[in-house]
Amino acid sequence: MGSGQIDRRTFMKVSGALAAGLAPAAAVAAEAKAAKALDETPYPVKWYPFTEHPDSDTCWSLSVGPDGRIYAAACAESVPGGVVKPVRYNEQRDDLDYLFNLAEKVDDPGDSGRASQCKIHYSFAPSMHDGVLYMATHLSGPPIDLPVYSPWYSWHDAKRCFRGSALLAFDTRTDQVLWWDTLIPKEGCRCLLHDEERGLLYAMSYPRDHFIIYDLRTRKRRDIGRISSINPQALFLDKKHRVWTSSDYGRLVRYTPETDRLEISPGLIAHDPNYQTGWHSVFYDVAPSPDGECVYASTWCPNPRLMRIWHNQGDWPRVEDLGPATQPRDLSFPIDMYDDHCGGLAFGGDGKLYYVASRWRDAKYNPTPESRKQNEGVVWCLDPQTLKREEVARLEHPTGLAHYVSRGAVDHNGDLFFGHVGNHPSGIFKVSMPADRKRKNAHLPIRMWG
Amino acid sequence: MTTMQTKPKFDPNSPEIKAYLNDLGNQFVREGTMVAFPTCLPGMTTPIPLDESRITALDINSDGHVYGGTSGQQAHIFGAAFHHLTGIVLDAGTVAGCTSTAAVCCGASRVIAFVNGPQGGRAVALPYIRLAEDWIQEWGLRPPVLQELGECVSGEQVVHAIAVPTRNTIVGVTTKHVFTVDVETGQINVVGEAPGRGHLAMGRSAVFGQDDGTQLWRFDVASGRLHRAAVHLPDGEWTAPLRWAHNRDSGLLFTADAAGQLFSFDESKFRLLGKAHLAPVGPIAVTPDGRLFGFCGAEMANLFCCDTASGSVTNLGVAASVLEQRRYGYQFGDAVAGRDGELIFGEDDNGGHLWLYFPKITSIRA
Repeated sequence: MGSGQIDRRTFMKVSGALAAGLAPAAAVAAEAKAAKALDETPYPVKWYPFTEHPDSDTCWSLSVGPDGRIYAAACAESVPGGVVKPVRYNEQRDDLDYLFNLAEKVDDPGDSGRASQCKIHYSFAPSMHDGVLYMATHLSGPPIDLPVYSPWYSWHDAKRCFRGSALLAFDTRTDQVLWWDTLIPKEGCRCLLHDEERGLLYAMSYPRDHFIIYDLRTRKRRDIGRISSINPQALFLDKKHRVWTSSDYGRLVRYTPETDRLEISPGLIAHDPNYQTGWHSVFYDVAPSPDGECVYASTWCPNPRLMRIWHNQGDWPRVEDLGPATQPRDLSFPIDMYDDHCGGLAFGGDGKLYYVASRWRDAKYNPTPESRKQNEGVVWCLDPQTLKREEVARLEHPTGLAHYVSRGAVDHNGDLFFGHVGNHPSGIFKVSMPADRKRKNAHLPIRMWG
Repeated sequence: MTTMQTKPKFDPNSPEIKAYLNDLGNQFVREGTMVAFPTCLPGMTTPIPLDESRITALDINSDGHVYGGTSGQQAHIFGAAFHHLTGIVLDAGTVAGCTSTAAVCCGASRVIAFVNGPQGGRAVALPYIRLAEDWIQEWGLRPPVLQELGECVSGEQVVHAIAVPTRNTIVGVTTKHVFTVDVETGQINVVGEAPGRGHLAMGRSAVFGQDDGTQLWRFDVASGRLHRAAVHLPDGEWTAPLRWAHNRDSGLLFTADAAGQLFSFDESKFRLLGKAHLAPVGPIAVTPDGRLFGFCGAEMANLFCCDTASGSVTNLGVAASVLEQRRYGYQFGDAVAGRDGELIFGEDDNGGHLWLYFPKITSIRA
């Protein structure tokens, strides 16, 4: 690892120490001050740090709400007793509104002694008919008096074990939390989906990787069972109300409500067939095409792959491999998955797919000058008609990292937003779109999963 | 809204925190090696479907081949081999309408499996599969055919069954009756009334099952007689279905109560060993050196080892495999001692695998 480069695990440890009181307040303040438009290109980029939640170290969820505004999760997972605070982009103030301390809302405060309600992980899901934004919490934040937490180690420890993923119904019209419930006891929610027509939420549990259905009418949970070991990072829905995700071995997993069964596809999703078997090709991010006929996805795997899946066609869908999302590299070494990453898939008002792929300096494959940062986050635009892709912007953080984007969304004005993981405090990027690429209500049809 | 930065309430250099971190570093398979083997010929055949592959029954024959059954949307019967040039789990098929496997017993001439459906439990025979092929180079065998032997006791679910030492007879129990199956003819006989709670144990000459209250019934193999309330269980919490393990050399039996207390049983008296750190105790099996291994705890089981001489119990952590398949193991349905001192656990979970556990070698005793 070169100087200036930092893997995610190391980052979490270091940032935990910083949160323990070592973070220079001046640096945080300077960073906030420096948060301004950095780019005069047609796609100016601006960084919005979670300065009012200085414990925050990650932003795992960023979605457009049913009101067309951007919601993000200011997560604090490396901080003992850290809690998540949902935020919303305020376009009038061009700043963030901090909505609430989620742990307090669900009576599970950060000093409970248990693993804390530290984050929302790909788990915002809108409800269009009533303006509710559902959100479900995830685990990993340690108890207030321990340095780290393991759900395996503490599963049977009533004092330490995570109470469970908390599900909240947040009314975006009144800014009130209408109700909350425990979605998954003892486990976190890795990703969430809302089938609004049927009033069902779907979730993947962590660490046991169980497929969970929550009936919003009865507020009852059903556990359909385990899928694999590695969590898929996304669920998606088709016109037949089937829910899709992926297994450890790179196969599609389909839940069909009529049969109440999970099935595994015979074929594999996209991976590099030259040296990969499909193992660990689990979905990272999935964006629906505006016409609803297919989805675009990236994998959570070294050399993340882009693909297009025609889930409404055939017995098992056609999977189109759109190729690697990131640069060539030395395949003989297992690259740090924090460096090699693709996320933030979102359709713009212009009908093009936008996403962020990491890029890094590599002596052989990408010898960028030292004046550039070691790791970069590149905003790409892919034309679904021609499948041509174009680099349109580079995310810039005033002092820190900008290459690990978790999720992206387009707001009702047609501007792009990306959640980012790896700075302290963490935050979100806004990419202002050129006028000819924007449209009113560009967030519609809305994505129903986190 | 402003937020103060959280201050940790611990001393990172304290012995407690250091011990905690050390424990965390050893939370998976603290000793020995686990190998999760899928229910297929890896890379060549498809495994048993995700929700039909909860492995709930295992047995091993004199060739060291393992036979088992699954539960889920459909019950499958399979054979498996891991020595020589094998390395295969072969799905022998399903029994129509049956969704759980209560027991699989390796008889002298064939395998008898006991599967349950909404109508009750039935016996199914499977010829031994010629698993000892060259599964590296070239192989060839026909799919085995399951033979229905019929209902065991009309309308009653089979709870468990076990082969007697000669392997000519299987003794089983439904929810209300004890029955036998002649391995060769497939004839099923109801022996008498007794509750079916938990697994059966095969002693030197008798089969033991959990009776009403805190007692065991005994079925004498030679005489064919069932003795109710034949053995009193020792002090303990006997509220949960029993699991058993058998030491093939000493003939000793081992079981656990609902609190996780481990006992040996020599067919007349019990001896309290140690206590597993979690309860309930699930599948257990004994290695030839006398160590008892098993899983304890619900939802996320931990492997443990009991030195049956000293009674000491060691927590070996959560199961994880990094060989053959990369997988965590959370729930297990049955266990057998393998041919050469390895243990084989059946994973009672979606996408269940056979987990081979190779215990850490212990020092030679002078």
